[in-house]
Amino acid sequence: MNEQVKPVRSIGKHVPMVDGPEKVSGRAQYTADIAAPGALAGRIFRSPYAHGEIVAVDTSEAEKLPGVVAVVTGADCDVTFGVLPIAYSEHPMARDKVRYKGEPVAAVAAIDEATAKEAIRRIKLTVKELPAYFHAQDALAEDAVDLHETRPGNVERDVFYELGDVDEALGAADLVLERDYFCPEVCQAQMEFHAAVADYDPVRERMTVHASTQVPFYVHIQLARVLGMSRSQIRVVKPFVAGGFGCRTETLNVELISALLAKKAGGKVRTVVNREETFITHRGRPETEIRLKMGMTKTGKITGVECETYQRGGAHSGYGVVTILYAGSMIYAIYDIADVRYIGKRVLTNTPPCGAFRGHGTVNVRFAFESLLDEMAGELGLDPFAVRRANLLEAPTITENDLMINSYGLPECMDWAEDASGWNTRKGNIKSPGVGKKKGLGMACSHYISGASKPVNWTGEPHATVNIKLDHDGSVVVLSGAAEIGQGSSTILVQTVADVLGLDMGRVRVITGDSEVVPKDNGSYSSRVTFMVGNAAIEAAQNLKRVLVEAAARKLDARPDDIDVLGEVYRASSQDQGLTFDEVVAEALKDTGTITVKGNFNTIPESWGGNKYRGSAIGGTMGYSYAAQVVEVTVDEETGEVTVDKVWVAHDCGKALNRLTVEGQVEGSVWMGLGQAMSEETAYYDGLMTANNLLDYRVPTIQDSPPIITHIVESNDPNGPYGAKEAGEGSLAGFLPAVANAVADAIGVRCLDLPLTPDRVLAAIEGKSKTMKAARRRRGAR
Amino acid sequence: MDPLHDFTLLRPTTLDEMVKARRKAPSARLIGGGTDLMVNMRRGIETPQTLIDTNGVAEMASIRASTKGFEIGASATLASVGQHEKLLQYFPAIAQAANAIAGPIHRMMGTVGGNICLDTRCIFYNQSEWWRSANNDCLKTVGEMCHVAPKSKGVCFATFSGDLAPALLLYDAEIDLAGGPRKRTIPLTDLYIGYAKQDGSTGDGKNYLALKKGEFVAAVRGKNTAGLVSAYDKVRIRRSIEYPVAGVAVALKRKGDKLADLRVAVTGTNPRPVRLEGTQSLCGGPLTDDVLAGLDGLVRDQIMAMKTTFTPGMYRRRVANVLAKRMVRKLWETAGG
Amino acid sequence: MSKHIVSFTLNGRQHDGVAPDNRLLLDYLRETLGLTGTKTACDGGECGACTVLVDNQARLSCLTLVGQVDGRSVETVEGLSPGGLSPVQEGFHMKLGAQCGGCTPGFVMATEGLLRRNSDPSVEEIRDALGSNICRCTGYVKIIEAVQYAAEKMRGKAA
Repeated sequence: MNEQVKPVRSIGKHVPMVDGPEKVSGRAQYTADIAAPGALAGRIFRSPYAHGEIVAVDTSEAEKLPGVVAVVTGADCDVTFGVLPIAYSEHPMARDKVRYKGEPVAAVAAIDEATAKEAIRRIKLTVKELPAYFHAQDALAEDAVDLHETRPGNVERDVFYELGDVDEALGAADLVLERDYFCPEVCQAQMEFHAAVADYDPVRERMTVHASTQVPFYVHIQLARVLGMSRSQIRVVKPFVAGGFGCRTETLNVELISALLAKKAGGKVRTVVNREETFITHRGRPETEIRLKMGMTKTGKITGVECETYQRGGAHSGYGVVTILYAGSMIYAIYDIADVRYIGKRVLTNTPPCGAFRGHGTVNVRFAFESLLDEMAGELGLDPFAVRRANLLEAPTITENDLMINSYGLPECMDWAEDASGWNTRKGNIKSPGVGKKKGLGMACSHYISGASKPVNWTGEPHATVNIKLDHDGSVVVLSGAAEIGQGSSTILVQTVADVLGLDMGRVRVITGDSEVVPKDNGSYSSRVTFMVGNAAIEAAQNLKRVLVEAAARKLDARPDDIDVLGEVYRASSQDQGLTFDEVVAEALKDTGTITVKGNFNTIPESWGGNKYRGSAIGGTMGYSYAAQVVEVTVDEETGEVTVDKVWVAHDCGKALNRLTVEGQVEGSVWMGLGQAMSEETAYYDGLMTANNLLDYRVPTIQDSPPIITHIVESNDPNGPYGAKEAGEGSLAGFLPAVANAVADAIGVRCLDLPLTPDRVLAAIEGKSKTMKAARRRRGAR
Repeated sequence: MDPLHDFTLLRPTTLDEMVKARRKAPSARLIGGGTDLMVNMRRGIETPQTLIDTNGVAEMASIRASTKGFEIGASATLASVGQHEKLLQYFPAIAQAANAIAGPIHRMMGTVGGNICLDTRCIFYNQSEWWRSANNDCLKTVGEMCHVAPKSKGVCFATFSGDLAPALLLYDAEIDLAGGPRKRTIPLTDLYIGYAKQDGSTGDGKNYLALKKGEFVAAVRGKNTAGLVSAYDKVRIRRSIEYPVAGVAVALKRKGDKLADLRVAVTGTNPRPVRLEGTQSLCGGPLTDDVLAGLDGLVRDQIMAMKTTFTPGMYRRRVANVLAKRMVRKLWETAGG
Repeated sequence: MSKHIVSFTLNGRQHDGVAPDNRLLLDYLRETLGLTGTKTACDGGECGACTVLVDNQARLSCLTLVGQVDGRSVETVEGLSPGGLSPVQEGFHMKLGAQCGGCTPGFVMATEGLLRRNSDPSVEEIRDALGSNICRCTGYVKIIEAVQYAAEKMRGKAA
C-alpha cells in the first residue's frame, strides 16, 4: 500500500487557477458586487478646467437636495498622498488649484445613484484659469506657469547619467545613427472599473475599506494619513480584482474619497466610477518622446548609446520619478553595453497623472532601441538576430550600472524564435497574399525585473512574509497579503506550499487580501510576487514541514533525519506503515495547539542596484526575465492597414512553476504590446480626454488578435523559487519594435510613431512620416 | 449604475399598434436593439419621454428577396439580413454591409431601421454629459458652435456612419414611412438631407433625416437590375466593433468589355451617406485607368474630410477612394466570368 | 415613474417582478436580484461583459430594458449549471480562458450561445461569434482553446 504513496507534484505542470471556478460561475465577488446593504452611493465631482486657482467650491445646493447624506471637498482633507514618500503631491480632492480636466474636486454620498448624480450637477466650481500645458515641451517652456510650487519649471525629475565615455564610444563606431521616436500615452483599460466600499463605524471609530486595488498595503498607509487615523483602526480588504496592469499599483483618489465620505456620513459608502472616470483616473503609460543615438561596429557590436527621453507625466508626481529612472537604467541588463548617456525628463502637465503600466518605463525606450538596432543592422547588411548575438551578456555578471544578472536565457529565446518562425528561409521570401499587399517578418528582444529589490516604502522589513496555519482539520491555510488580480498569484502560493509538503493542492487553501488576517505584502507590481512571495511561501512551508517531521519522528520514535515525507504519508523506513498526514497533524498539535509558521524573503544587497548616479537603485532586481519574439505582418500598401498574422515568442522565466499561467501571462503581455503598437492611444481636446471609452480607445478585439505561439525557456535562476523569475511583463515591450521592424521588412519604410494605424503607416509610406517635432506640433494643436 | 431618465416603454405587437402609439406620442423614439439609441440615452444625449419597442412587431421583421428585388422590414435584425441566403446571393452588398456592422452580438440586436436612421456621430457629440458640458456643449445638442468647424455658421458636421445605407442606395431603394399624418413611400436618398451647406438651406449633421413628425421607417425595398454585381467593404482600425472609417458600396454591370453601369456610395465621411453623382458618365467603355481616375475625382469632389473621428479626415477620403477603385476592379473581374 | 410587471423565465424558473420602465436588464439582474455574475465594464455596448442569453441568443444586457424581455427566457452565467460547472465554464477554467475573470461571464454566455447553434465551430467561426466581447488579459489565445474544449465536451455528452 505504502509503495504507491508519493508526494504530489504540481510545479512545472499546466495547473488551472485555484479560484477559476468562482470566476467562470459568476460567484466571484468584485468590489462592485459585494453586498453592502444600506450603502450610500458615492459620486465624484470633477473639474472641467485644466488649470486654475480654485476660487470657490459651492456645494450648498447639493447639500440641500433630499437624500444627500454627506458632501466633501478639498477643504475636508489637507493631507497629500501619492506613491513615493518624497513625492506626495496629490490631495484626494483638489485644494487651492485644479490641475487637469477630470480632477476630483468634491464628492457626495447619497441614498441612491440618481440622487448622487443630481447632487453632482448642483455643485458649482469657480476658478481663476491659468495657462494649461498638454505636452511636455509646452510645460517646459521658459514662461510656463508652474503646476506645483515645489516643482519649478514643471520638471518632476531630471535624470542624467553617463557611464563610460559615450563620445569616445560613438567615435569608435563604424556607423552612428540618431532617430526620434514617439509613443503616445496609453491606458491599462482593465475590465473592472475602480471601486471602493468604505465603511466607517462611528461607535468604534474604525474604517473598513474594500477596494479594487493591487496594493492593499499602500492603500492602508494612505488611508491612515489622509483620514488622520491610526493604521490600527483601519482595515483594508481586497476582494476579487479584475485586472490592474499597474493602474492600481498606487492608492487611488477613489478609495480615499469613499473613505472621507464614509467618515463624514458615519456609515457605508460605495463608489464605483464608470469607464470614462476610470480612464481619467489614469495612471497609465506617459506620452514619450525619445531621441536615440547609437554607435555600432560593422560586425554589429554596439559601441555607445545616448538616449534622451521626455515623459509627459500628467498633473501629479505619482510614480513619475521611478518611471523616468526605469527608462534609463533598463537600457542595460539585456545586452553587453558599457557606454551609455541618459537624459531623462519627467514633466508635469495638465493631463491626468500617469503611473506604472506593465513594463514600467522600459517599454517605449525598448521600442526605440530595438527599432534602431534593426535599422542599423539593415544599413550594415547584418541580420537582426546576428546583431543581437553580437551583443550578448554572459551570466553571471554585473552591468555597468551595477545591476546583478545571474541567469540569462536570451540566447535560447532567440534561437527558438528564429527557428520556429522559419526566419532564415522565410524572411524576404514570403509570397504576397494579394495585390498591393506585402508580407514581412520582424524581431525584437526585451526584458524586465522580477520585483524591485528596493521597495517603495522602505521600512527595513522583509520583502515578503507568508504565514501558514495548520489546525485540527488538517487543511493547510496559507495567509498572504499578495494581491491576486488575475495573474495567478494565489495559485502559485498553493502550488509552492503544496509542493514542499508533497500534498495535493486540494489540501492547501489560500487566504489573501484582508489586512486583519493576513501578513502585509507590498503588493502586486513590478512582477515581484512569484519571486518574493513565492520564496517566502517556500520558507514557510519548509518551516511547517520541519514541525511535522519532528512530530512524526516523536510518534514513530525515530530521528527527524530518518523521516520520509511522502505527502499524505510520513514514514520512518520503507517497511514502516507510517503515519497519515492527519495523524502527524494530531501529534504536532499536542504541544503547541494550532500550528502557525512564517516564512520571509529578503533581497540580497548585490541586487540593490548601484549608486553611480542619483536614483540608480531603480532597475535593481533579483532576476530579469528575457524574451525574444518574431512578428509576421501583412501590409496593405494602398490603405496602410497592417495585419498582424502571427507571433512567436520565447520567454525566459527561469522556471515555469505553472506552465498554463506562464503561457497565459506571456500571451497576454505580447498582446497588450500589440494593442499599444497597433491601435491604442489616448487623445485630448483642449485637455479633455476624448478617447475615454472602449470604442474610441481601441483595445484589440478577437478579430485583431493573431495566434501567439509561446515557448518557455528555463534558465533556472539560482535565487528564484524553484528557479523562477517573472513571466508577466518581460514580453510586452518586445512586440512594439518587432512589429515596426516587420512593417519595415514588408514595405521598406520605418515607422517611428506609434500606434501603427493605417493613416500613420500610409503617411510613412509616402515619405510624409512625422518626426517627433512634427508629431508634437500636430498633437499640440489638438 | 447610472440610472436612465424617466420614460414610458410601450411594446406594441402589430404595426397598427405601433402607428397608433406613435401618433399618440409623435416624439416617442423607437428602440430596436438599443445599440445606438440606448448608448446615447445612457450618456444623457437623448432623453425621450416615451420609447416604443419594435422587437415585438413580427410583421416588421420579414425579409423577402429574389433575383428581382428585395423587401426588408425595419425590425429585421442585421444578423438576419447578413445571413439571408437570397440577399447574399442577389444583393451581396446589402448582406456584406450588414455583416460588417459592429460585432456579432450587436448584429443580433441591431435592426435595419435603426441602422438606416443611425444617429450621426462626432467626437464632440458622443460623449458623457460631464464632457459635453465641460466643452461648452456643441451645436448638435444645446451648444452654439460646431467644434469640428468653428468657423461654419451654425452648420453641424457630425458624420453619418451607418453601413447599410450606401448598399441600399446602390439599388435606388425606397422606404415606407408610417406613423406620420399619412403613410408614404419615398426614395431612400430623399431621407438623407445632411448636405451641411453653409447657407443652411438643407440639413446637416444635426438635421440629417427628412422625417415628418411621428414618421418612422417601416420597410425598405429595392429592385434589382439584371447583370448587376455588388459588394461592400469598409476600412477600419479594428476588425470588429468599429464604425466605418470609410465604408464603400459598389455595384456595376459589365457587358462584354464594356462598363455598362456603375454605382458607388460612401458612408462614414459626410453627414449623409453619399451616392456618388456622375458615375454613369464613366460608363460606356472598358475599365481603364481614366475611368478610375474619373472615379477618383468624383470621390474627391463629393466626399468630405472633416475631423469628426480620431482618424484624420483626409485619410478617410483617401482610403474611400482606394476602396472604391479596388472594389470596382474586383467586381469588373468577377463579372467578366 | 412608469412601472410595469415583468414576467420572464430566468435561468429556467419563472420570474415575476415589477420594474420601472427605465430599468436596464443589467441593473435589474445585478441590483434588484443580486445576480452579480453579469458584469459591466464600459459605459454602453462596447465590451460585451454584460452578455446574457435571451431566447438562446447572446444579448447585451446593458442596452436592453428589462421590459423588453417580458415573456422571453433569460439566462445568466449563474444559471448555466447548478451544482457544478457547465462544459463552457469548465473549458474557461481548465484552459485558462479566464485570468482576472472580468470579461469571463460575458464570454461564457456568448460562447454558450455559439455552441447551442454550432456544435463544432472552426477557429474562424469562434472569432466571428466572439467579436463583441473584449478581454484584456488573455490576448484571446486561450479563450479560443477554451471554446474548443467546451465544444468537444458538449459533443461528447450529446453523443
